[in-house]
Amino acid sequence: MSFAALIPSLGSLSAEGDGGHFPPTPEGFWQPLVTLGHIGDYPIVITRSMVVIMLSVALLSWWLVSTTKRAAVVPGKGQHYTELVYNFVRNDVAKDMIGSKDFLRFVPLLFSLFVLILLNNLFGIIPPIQFPTMSRIGFPIALTLVVYVVYHWIGIKKQHGFLNYVKWMIPPGIPGWLLPLIVFLELLTFFITRPLTLALRLFGNMFAGHMLLAVFIIGGWELVQADTFALKFVALPAWLMAFVMTLFEGLVQFLQAFVFTLLAASYFGSAVADEH
Amino acid sequence: MLQLTGVRALAASGDSQASAPPILPYLPELIFGFVAIGILYWVVKTKVVPNLEKAYAARAEAIEGGIAKAEKAQAEAKAALDHYNAQLADARGEANKIREDARAHAAQIVAEMRAQAQAESARIVESAQKQIEAERQQAVVSLRGEVGRLSTDLASRIVGESLHDETRQKGIVERFLADLEAGEIRPVKVGGTDS
Amino acid sequence: MTGNLNLVGYGLAAIGPAIAVGLIFAAYINGVARQPEAGNMLRPIAILGFALAEALAIFGLVLFFISPK
Repeated sequence: MSFAALIPSLGSLSAEGDGGHFPPTPEGFWQPLVTLGHIGDYPIVITRSMVVIMLSVALLSWWLVSTTKRAAVVPGKGQHYTELVYNFVRNDVAKDMIGSKDFLRFVPLLFSLFVLILLNNLFGIIPPIQFPTMSRIGFPIALTLVVYVVYHWIGIKKQHGFLNYVKWMIPPGIPGWLLPLIVFLELLTFFITRPLTLALRLFGNMFAGHMLLAVFIIGGWELVQADTFALKFVALPAWLMAFVMTLFEGLVQFLQAFVFTLLAASYFGSAVADEH
Repeated sequence: MLQLTGVRALAASGDSQASAPPILPYLPELIFGFVAIGILYWVVKTKVVPNLEKAYAARAEAIEGGIAKAEKAQAEAKAALDHYNAQLADARGEANKIREDARAHAAQIVAEMRAQAQAESARIVESAQKQIEAERQQAVVSLRGEVGRLSTDLASRIVGESLHDETRQKGIVERFLADLEAGEIRPVKVGGTDS
Repeated sequence: MTGNLNLVGYGLAAIGPAIAVGLIFAAYINGVARQPEAGNMLRPIAILGFALAEALAIFGLVLFFISPK
């Protein structure tokens, strides 16, 4: 992977005012491409991340459908790779977390979540795109809301009503004086902590990782443009660090997709479980 | 870099979103997020997972069916082997029997041949003896005739009278021979020394 | 020298979860080293624990962004 390829898109992170200012700012993640209009002060635009996520959906749909259209008993190459990912989500995530009784009906959602997040995360280091969609919080929130609604829905349906659902959340054998605190904590966990952390973990990792890469790459660029030769020379270790961090980001991106899917599966699993 | 100028222009025009805290969602992006996961979920649910699960089921079935088929084939092979072994044993027994038969048959043939040969040889010997006997007889008869004629010739020459009368000649010769056999006439030297 | 004290605050807040995540994975590695066949069973538990510990750091990030500058 060449650094030169990394620079243009990351350079846009610091595109505030004239010339690249060194510390990249969160404003750099706001990248509108086409302005459609305004509602009051609220701009209606197509942003870069919207394009990227639609591209990822198109790519994933094409790949998944074309490799599994004629799913054979003896898989071809494409089907083999698809099955590798599908097996991972199906057996290592869904089956382990939900249990072999109910897991199959959650597999499509978990698999969609996993491949969508994984591809969008990896777009953060794939040269022509190089923008992690999930660093715009709207997308993680959307995915989390889907998970949130689904696990509460199946929980309430399984416990026959909201009050039973809350009752089911409380572990048995709690002394009476602790009950209000436990109920409060459980409600907090189920309704606030879980979705908040699920969305923010993904967002935070992608946001911070991209920022980190920008720091090293744009920082190196700033150093190259410095006047003294010594400073120009320091750009090399900065870019070397950027290279290492890019590899590290690849790992984090996979891990975050995995963690998101795993946590979603564990929430589904606890919702269909007989006991809390 | 066109895009960069676009960003700058928007930022410069006091875009409320650029300076908004990054943890507040931009609503169109939120909606795009729902749409994206919705489309992908629909595709995966209707087109991808059923096919894959069908392939998995077919694979499991193929493996189980394969095992059953292998077991059946093994049983068949075992049956065939047993059958073959039995046949082999039969064939071996049959071969032994044939060999024994052949041996017996050969012995019989040899015996028959021997008997036939003996019979033949006996027959040949007998016929040869018969022939010898016949030839001897013939020789005796012809000798007898010749001796008679010679002696009569001799006698007639000596006697001087023709004794060639058939009946007389015969009677004399027969009588002479009979006397000779009876031992009444000693062979005498006709002339000169005869050893 | 200019800056935001929020940054320092977030940095301090991240220490706790960092130690917690380290402890969780240390325990996980220990467990797997002692009993390699338990790895599959321990992994989801370790990741869930990691997620819970990391939640605190994430709250710190949120507070960093929503606090007035």
